[in-house]
Amino acid sequence: MMEATNAELYRLVLTDAPYVIGAYAILWIAFVVYLSMVLARMMRLEKEVDLLESAVSKRSGE
Amino acid sequence: MKQLRTAIVLVAIGGLLTTAAFLMAFFTAEVQQFGTVTLEQEVDTVFPVAPDQFQPPAGEGIAYVRPWFSQKIFYFHVPVAEASFLVLIISAVFAIRFLTSKRAEFDTKSRIAMETALVFVVLTMITGVLWTRASWGVWWEWEPRLTTYFIMMLMMIAYFVLRNSIEEEERRATYAAVFAVVAAINAPISFMITRVIPSNHPVVFQPGMASSNLLPFIIGQIGMLMIGYGIYTARMTEERLRERVEIAKEALEG
Repeated sequence: MMEATNAELYRLVLTDAPYVIGAYAILWIAFVVYLSMVLARMMRLEKEVDLLESAVSKRSGE
Repeated sequence: MKQLRTAIVLVAIGGLLTTAAFLMAFFTAEVQQFGTVTLEQEVDTVFPVAPDQFQPPAGEGIAYVRPWFSQKIFYFHVPVAEASFLVLIISAVFAIRFLTSKRAEFDTKSRIAMETALVFVVLTMITGVLWTRASWGVWWEWEPRLTTYFIMMLMMIAYFVLRNSIEEEERRATYAAVFAVVAAINAPISFMITRVIPSNHPVVFQPGMASSNLLPFIIGQIGMLMIGYGIYTARMTEERLRERVEIAKEALEG
């Protein structure tokens, strides 16, 4: 049996809060990090494709 | 780069929808109950008094309904989990198409879908473990849903180990396709297991869900599927760029 205060009830509910906020934060941080990595790789590949394809077209023009 | 723009739009809309679902979970969804709390005496509170059968004997305090705050994880844990099942099955469908046609593009699509599904599976595990800790007081329990889902995750990791262990392209693609189909069989098993074997894990889809709870769940689910499709599209765009690099390298070397 607990001390009879309204704050005690709220305290019980709020013990769950870090898990709820943590779960949502981890979810979004993971998505952002994963997509940032994909985008960074794509930008690098895009530059590589441009360089290589221009080299190929130069060679075929020679 | 049209596909990349599509991916960004999908992820952005998906992000907005899942955020809306998260906010609705707190501001409009009906609060679920998780047990009771007994206080020494009656207090002035918004928490409702528990039904008579939960009340202690006279003079030993008063029981209040305990709001289930950690249940709010449901509104993003379940959409991520459902998306993981769906994307895994899509990976298996591409795997079957590869096995019947032997076209390399289906192997690539199956692999990218498997990778996307694995991202969702890992996130389902993390959000699930946090919910388990908040609700059951433990980080893990070997109950049917968690165990079958864990096995499914291990098989998905094994899929990539298998791919990396075979050098010959066609043999690798064939073995991986068969393994993807076997891994996907776990999806319906894990989904249905809580309906067949008694489990602590809640059964999500059942009649009587309040519309105030159903709406944020559906919005979150649509948002999560859009994010999943966005990730898949972005990864496919990356793979196509990688193929162009390889073709250009071969042209230069030849």
